[in-house]
Amino acid sequence: MRNSEHLATVMVNAFIDAVERGVDLVPVVADSTSTAKIAPFIKQFPGRLVNVGIAEQTLVGAAAGLAIGGKVAVTCNAAPFLISRANEQIKVDICYNNTNVKLFGLNSGASYGPLASTHHSIDDISVLRGFGNIEIYAPSCPVECRQIIDYALAHVGPVYIRLDGKALPELHDEHYQFAPGNIDVLRKGNDVALVAMGSTVHEIVEAATQLAAQGIEASVISVPSIRPCNTSQLLDALKTCNAVVSVEEHNVNGGVGSLVAEVLAEAGCAIPLRRLGIQDGQYAIAADRASTRARHEIDAAGVVKNARQILLNRQ
Amino acid sequence: MNPFSLSVEELEKKARAVRRRIIVLNAESPAGGHTGADLSQVELLTALYFRILNCSPETKESDERDIYIQSKGHAVGGYYCVLAEAGFIPVDWLSTYQHADSHLPGHPVKHKTPGIELNTGALGHGLPVAVGIALAAKRSNSKRRVFAITGDGELAEGSNWEAALVAAHYQLDNLIIINDKNNLQLAGSTKEIMNTDPLDEKWRAFGMQVTECKGNDMADVVATLEGLQPGGKPHVVIAHTTKGAGVSFIQGRPEWHHRVPKGDEVELALEELKDA
Repeated sequence: MRNSEHLATVMVNAFIDAVERGVDLVPVVADSTSTAKIAPFIKQFPGRLVNVGIAEQTLVGAAAGLAIGGKVAVTCNAAPFLISRANEQIKVDICYNNTNVKLFGLNSGASYGPLASTHHSIDDISVLRGFGNIEIYAPSCPVECRQIIDYALAHVGPVYIRLDGKALPELHDEHYQFAPGNIDVLRKGNDVALVAMGSTVHEIVEAATQLAAQGIEASVISVPSIRPCNTSQLLDALKTCNAVVSVEEHNVNGGVGSLVAEVLAEAGCAIPLRRLGIQDGQYAIAADRASTRARHEIDAAGVVKNARQILLNRQ
Repeated sequence: MNPFSLSVEELEKKARAVRRRIIVLNAESPAGGHTGADLSQVELLTALYFRILNCSPETKESDERDIYIQSKGHAVGGYYCVLAEAGFIPVDWLSTYQHADSHLPGHPVKHKTPGIELNTGALGHGLPVAVGIALAAKRSNSKRRVFAITGDGELAEGSNWEAALVAAHYQLDNLIIINDKNNLQLAGSTKEIMNTDPLDEKWRAFGMQVTECKGNDMADVVATLEGLQPGGKPHVVIAHTTKGAGVSFIQGRPEWHHRVPKGDEVELALEELKDA
């Protein structure tokens, strides 16, 4: 595995390169310069960033205005405050007005761990899937993240990019080519399909290794592109397996597990599915990342346990 | 440059024409309307579109055009009538107001109606977006000015005051916030529901240049809007208006927030609004 990199750093480097190649990009932050790790950008382009203070509604509204005024506006703040506090601004000013704004949800999922549920965003994908026209991406590693950002900055229209809050190792080689909608099959096996988005892709990669040691062959399917999603490609990857386990640091309603359920059901494909994530009636616990993932069974061990169970139940 | 640049007298005549259209448009609406709000901002919108704004149907895509944001989106009926008078939309569209899937829905929708800059309807959205547009203009060294009309009841939305902080912080003297202060909102008087007075002191405390005018007096509206000078601070114009202004049996009555003229009321109103 190659070097890990924090996805916010990948984001800031993409911004710097974009401005250098002539993109009229304006980052908008809500006192979130440190969250966004954006000091190198500010140093290189003084006077370009807009800081609205701790005011998420205006973060998003002003970003829409900057886009109307011809800028490529990119908001950078913690995902929970972006999605929840500025929900109506995202719906109306960004989606309904179809403005050219890229929303970066930083430290998403339960990245903020012990800071507890005000700081967790385990609903961002489900909320944004309800707004019909915003593209939604959840990169799992640096190369993919950079390509998604470069694509988003060139694409005209609203985009949400969900970034995890810790450094993530690389999953792809230098030949990787991101395309909107595509899924990535990182490993092929016919017993069980493991599907994840964002940082939990690393958990299913590890789980597949552990399952293989126990004689169970798993497919590892990464879904970086929630909308658009090439659902026939996803279905093809799923239907060669006897069971499916979806894994996300998100509640199980409306995220990647729901996406998988919709794809299977609409195709009339009766493969059993178990959705791992924050279950109905729960919030993510306030804890370090490893404990959180263990409790909600979205770590490699939890995935292995559930994959074995779903295969056993099927027999 | 405004393509019409009408005199005050011509603007007054235009305002009467707009009011007549508002009466008929609301009367023909199958889904009610906001007659009172439409009427209270007639002088403001007429002055903007026929004298103040550097914007016309021909320049509506220009990067240099002034931008108008209708933050109180529910007063869209009056806005449509002004856009029709100014040639942005065909006059015959006005009879389709709020008809199924028409060009003229019950709140502004830019991909339906030429001339509209921002989809609004949920209150408290206009100012943050206007701040972003004004900031973009400053950063691009554009001479563009950004005008936004809010209601006074709308000012209870906290997003307005967030945006005010940002506007003052970034010294957006190309931003003109107009408060259509008619002292009435959906369910009664603004003073009783959520008092925003003293409004001038609040805006000044937030760092704005504040001017007040009689918002249904065309000469005063024009003098006020033309008197605004850049000075490093965003502008607020508190326009003291009467909800339903111009029609004796509508003005000042809260029940006309969401009521439309019916039967004899149409003829009575049109009679009152005849040119002398």
